[in-house]
Amino acid sequence: MKKNDILLIGIIAVISLALLLFFNILGKGERLIAVIVHNNQVVERIDLSKVKEPRTITVSGNYHNIIKVEKDRIRFEKSDCPEQICVHTGWLSKFGDIAVCMPNKTIIDIEKK
Amino acid sequence: MSTKRIALIAMLVAQATILHYLEGLLPNPIPIPGVKLGLANIITLLALILYDFKTALNIVVLRTILGSLLNGSLFGVGFFLSFTGAMVATCMMVILLRVFPVLSVIGVSVAGAIAHSVGQLLMAALIINQPGIFYYLPFMLLFSIPSGIITGLLLKALLKYIEKS
Repeated sequence: MKKNDILLIGIIAVISLALLLFFNILGKGERLIAVIVHNNQVVERIDLSKVKEPRTITVSGNYHNIIKVEKDRIRFEKSDCPEQICVHTGWLSKFGDIAVCMPNKTIIDIEKK
Repeated sequence: MSTKRIALIAMLVAQATILHYLEGLLPNPIPIPGVKLGLANIITLLALILYDFKTALNIVVLRTILGSLLNGSLFGVGFFLSFTGAMVATCMMVILLRVFPVLSVIGVSVAGAIAHSVGQLLMAALIINQPGIFYYLPFMLLFSIPSGIITGLLLKALLKYIEKS
């Protein structure tokens, strides 16, 4: 390894940590809206603080995603897509959190009111 | 195109395809789309070092098509992501090898991994029309470092054997 290699790695590490910090600061103390988008169209906007009873939403396209909504949080609960990355992402509860099912073109992200 | 060149390209394409396919079988360590080791990138970089840009591009195009044919994602979303990522990575690595040769093989491999992540993310943002996906960028950048180093070290070991023979 050359000195330049270490420099490159250092710069990238600093940039990514700075971005992480920046995204975290952006997400402090706001009312959160979960937005479900499928095939570039908004399926539903949910005010997460107003959810009383947990419920599920099914989004069907090439595959089927079952999305679970609870108070202050939302997740892909089940999906029949091949990689299951969306399910493994787990709960979304902060501004900027995002879970994506690329095979089914479904996105859940958390926005501010 | 000489017969020897065709045979060599075919061999490298076969190796890259298998690496591409095998990698798809490994469980994803982090729940972020597109995070993987990038083993097939070893062959791309090898082709850039031993041959030229054109050969490497041939190999990248063929192996992404064959690799996704094997794992059933041909012309699906995953195919376009790995295709764009691999193309961007190849361009980035050729620039760092030929135009600004300031990095060692490992550095070039890390830069390739970073270029792959960024290219893939741009394509993903385009497909799903959602810039919010760049939330993944810092995680992908961080993961590019170890994956680039690992593939770089593997390539270094491989190059030693090739120089001997």
